[in-house]
Amino acid sequence: MVPPFRRPVCVIAALTLFSATGCAGAAISASGGGDAGGPLKIGVIVPLTGPIAQSGTALRQGFELGVAKVNNAGGVGGKQVEFVVVDDAGDPANSTQLARRLIQQDKVTALFGTITGDTAEAVAKVSDDSKIPFFTAILGDPEQCRAYQWGFGESTRQLLAPMVPPLLQKYGKRVAIVGSDYNYPHIYAGLAKDFTTANGGTVVAEEYSPLGQTDWQPVIARLKDAKPDVLLSMVVGADAIAFSQQAQQFGLLTGKLGFEGAPLDSDYHPALSALTTGRHHAVRWADGMTDPASRQFVDGYRAKYQWRAPIPEVAGSAYFGVQFVLAAAAKTGNDPVALNREIGTFQYDSPLGTGTHFAQANHILQADMVDAVITPEDYAVAAKFGPVADTVPRTGC
Amino acid sequence: MDVLLAILSQFGLYGLLTLGIAIVFAALRVVNLAHCDFAMIGAYAAATLTGFAFSWRVVLVLAATVPLLVLIERALLRRSLADGLGSMLVTWGVGMALRQIAEVAFGATPRSVAAPVTGTVALFGTQGPAYRLICALVAVVVVGLVLLAAYRTRWGLTLRAVADNPAMAGLLGTDPHRLRTTAFIVGGLLAVLAGALYSPTLAVSPSMGFSLLVPTFFALLFSRPGSLATAALAALGVSALAVLLRTWLSDVVADALFYVVVIGIAAVRSRPALRRFVSWSRRFVVRSA
Repeated sequence: MVPPFRRPVCVIAALTLFSATGCAGAAISASGGGDAGGPLKIGVIVPLTGPIAQSGTALRQGFELGVAKVNNAGGVGGKQVEFVVVDDAGDPANSTQLARRLIQQDKVTALFGTITGDTAEAVAKVSDDSKIPFFTAILGDPEQCRAYQWGFGESTRQLLAPMVPPLLQKYGKRVAIVGSDYNYPHIYAGLAKDFTTANGGTVVAEEYSPLGQTDWQPVIARLKDAKPDVLLSMVVGADAIAFSQQAQQFGLLTGKLGFEGAPLDSDYHPALSALTTGRHHAVRWADGMTDPASRQFVDGYRAKYQWRAPIPEVAGSAYFGVQFVLAAAAKTGNDPVALNREIGTFQYDSPLGTGTHFAQANHILQADMVDAVITPEDYAVAAKFGPVADTVPRTGC
Repeated sequence: MDVLLAILSQFGLYGLLTLGIAIVFAALRVVNLAHCDFAMIGAYAAATLTGFAFSWRVVLVLAATVPLLVLIERALLRRSLADGLGSMLVTWGVGMALRQIAEVAFGATPRSVAAPVTGTVALFGTQGPAYRLICALVAVVVVGLVLLAAYRTRWGLTLRAVADNPAMAGLLGTDPHRLRTTAFIVGGLLAVLAGALYSPTLAVSPSMGFSLLVPTFFALLFSRPGSLATAALAALGVSALAVLLRTWLSDVVADALFYVVVIGIAAVRSRPALRRFVSWSRRFVVRSA
């Protein structure tokens, strides 16, 4: 018998446990057994609950539409492609467990997904051990290159190389860098410094703040004192919004300051469009691209998911990325090792570029970048940078 | 001067939150871990009720939150009063539930709120955002009014009596249930007001309350139970410490040092010798008064 005063505690504890796990690990789609002669099956690991659920959901939706397009055209090897979606809630421990389950129980031929670097690293370790190819669609550089990991998102070099020179030319040579205090913004800042100095600029300030910062006044004051012409920001999550708003309120973020970085991503458009409209942002894919394949994807995405805001770039990378994978799988069938070998040399034409392929030295997709101008409705293409190479070797490949 | 304005602005936010959690702790003896999630409710109201003027959004959310606060206090906290730890766990669960509800209703993507007053003002030669100054002043005035009520009204006297000795206050005719409900409402509304008022300077997200809970909790830790004046002073101290460290040092170092200083103060305060010294020195204060 539970004492009366403890009953509410028990109920709340149960609810808390349920909400904390976010039903993590629950399979969303039905799974079936995969074999050499069976249909191709892909395991999709994404955060569908938790603080980065929005990006995870966008990736899943882009992936679903990409698979649907291939299936509507007859599938792979005459069979419909199957996939299993699982929710890791952005927790690397869940990602590891789910990757193992998808490989051992669901017998998937490939893994796709993850949003954050730590969950990607967790899945990459499992995929490498099991010799199952794993594909990501988010921008950024993995800490280590792995034989079975491939990224469809742009690398930091591909992000900065086309955008730093025009920013310095238009606004001036004094560059300030600000970021959230974790691994990736430091990597971003290191490369940003290289590109700045290589283009005749000077880094006049470099600031980091712990995640969860609510008051940016001291950081903004230091940035203002440095009198920058350009601000490169890798402040992420909710902090990106608080920082950008306060930077505008304190008079740092004006039309005279060049501004590029994470806050300009479409994820933040609903909150920051008033501050970012009219600014230019380097992206691999933008929902304002006018080619027929992009238009078909944008129209399908908006119709199916009742989406009115700009479509996140990660959805486009997942949509065209999975088509790249399935085109390679059409040559190899269900053998994961053969698929991985094929991916390494495969070339594919899509709105991401003509003859897109992975560099052997770092497993980064060699594809186009575009200069997107932010509007209240979408990310319109202002100019095309064309192919932006990143073939810098990385340990592990 | 800009440092003083930054401290004032931080104090406005932390002062409202700390005073609210201190009122609840005084009356219920419960550390309300859902307290800053009430601020999230205020911020979401400011972000979503855009058809109304900003001031009306604040008024509407304050009015709409009262039934929720009554429900939480009566349905969840009243029955578990006998168990302090149980009550604290209940509030933790309430906070989790509120965050999940917000995520389902509004999504995980953070939102922003346009400041109702734009532009900058010059104060003693320092330029600062006008709205930041206005909301800091409003918050400080509200903190002052609450302290006035606590030390100059019958409700405040009853609250302090219950905080000091609930059994004795009950024997002298105080209705503890009514006082607890009132205190929970007042404390919760201060958090809602803080969230709504400061929403144009923050990112509005389901987990935003969690970032605010740590400094609020530290300020409560440094205050004397039942003494709202010490709670306000502690909030001022925490605000000043955070701003000064971040002004002199980089954010990363300042953040680490902030926790070191706070934990150090808490450790020193818990030393029996220091407690005896404070207790002994109070006799002279009372005699001289």
